[in-house]
Amino acid sequence: MARNLITALLLTALWSCAESDSEAAFSDSNTGTGGSLARFTIVGDYLYTVDNTTLNSFDISAAGEIKPRESILVGEGVETIFPLSGFLFLGTRSGMLIYRIQQGGVPQFVSNYQHVVSCDPVVANNEYAYVTLRASDCREAGPGAADLLEIIDISNITNPHVVASYGMDSPFGLGLDGQTLFLCEGAGGLKVFDVANPQNIQLLHHLTNFNAIDVIPLDGLLLVIGPDRIVQLDYTNIDDIRVISEISIGV
Amino acid sequence: MEKTTFFLALALSSGLLFTGCIEPSVDIPEQVAGLAPIYYEGDWRDIGAEPPQPIRELFKIYYKDSIIFAGESLKGIHVIDNTDPFYPETIKFIRIPGNSDIAIKGNTLYANNLSDLVAIDIGNLDDIRVLDRVRNAFPGGGSPLPDNYFGFFECPDTSMGAVVGWAEKVLERPECWR
Repeated sequence: MARNLITALLLTALWSCAESDSEAAFSDSNTGTGGSLARFTIVGDYLYTVDNTTLNSFDISAAGEIKPRESILVGEGVETIFPLSGFLFLGTRSGMLIYRIQQGGVPQFVSNYQHVVSCDPVVANNEYAYVTLRASDCREAGPGAADLLEIIDISNITNPHVVASYGMDSPFGLGLDGQTLFLCEGAGGLKVFDVANPQNIQLLHHLTNFNAIDVIPLDGLLLVIGPDRIVQLDYTNIDDIRVISEISIGV
Repeated sequence: MEKTTFFLALALSSGLLFTGCIEPSVDIPEQVAGLAPIYYEGDWRDIGAEPPQPIRELFKIYYKDSIIFAGESLKGIHVIDNTDPFYPETIKFIRIPGNSDIAIKGNTLYANNLSDLVAIDIGNLDDIRVLDRVRNAFPGGGSPLPDNYFGFFECPDTSMGAVVGWAEKVLERPECWR
């Protein structure tokens, strides 16, 4: 009990520490941006990858040279990896795992949030993590699994807890820009939410004329990928989000 | 006898690998619909730049410096110049057999090439070069069974080459399943 408390305190200290130095240590304009379904991500001098059961790290500080480092067994069904402020959020079929990137790029387990078995990616800011759970067409989905968006309070990184849950329709990837959440529903299209109040998110738009699997919000420009096309939308004015171009089959 | 051992090993390994989700079946049917591996023809480690290719099945996206990198399932990466998002232009296709994920730092693209991890210099798209390769960085990687597939499949034969996909097939007494 006492040991748990000390660990918790220690982790809390690490978290506050991470918040203060995160920008300087981890922002890297030299690196690109992936979608929420990514299984590769680069933080500083390290490439992190997930492949079903394992979180791997590779030292890529020397350009063009890959030095394998850690290989950590993290459990079953790891699907996605999302980096934020020195932490790695892993979307797995049974929940969300949070790892802190320590000195030397070594990931250390911090906490997890369990849910019923389903398929799910995750995006986050410093306060909340947004996780979609997809039971539709997810054969591993456990009893009671549903199509949901869950909002998880991670302000205490050692104790993530769900604050709200919303029914969705076969959700896939998602993207976050400030208070705006973009959520892909496959053939069901793209939903745009105002998530300023996690207890009462507002559906702003539901675009149904394309198939959306994953998104990347780029400060006013939204890249949407479907199996058969790439659609770009201008959302500089969120009330007037509009498709500006499309690349589809046959190019 | 040998066959019994094989079955035991198979049952054991599938049980170990997929605990919790699957009840290993034991009755092998004479004939059943399932999946068979698609083997890569040629050298799957051969990576190169090609003219733009038609989009068939996209599932990953990456963005850097006004360039969109769109992953074509298990084949490679469409490179799209997005300097003007109103008129994006497909400029290259980077052939990476068995690819499913990428990330980029500077001019170096990190990608899985089936089960290997490769670092590719994309500074000059007309002359891309593999700078480094970690063999078998993702054991069991490349093209695993489709995520949502449970049932019988033809056991992959490594002597036939690298598995780059799966196709539906009527199987005779299949010895693999999950």
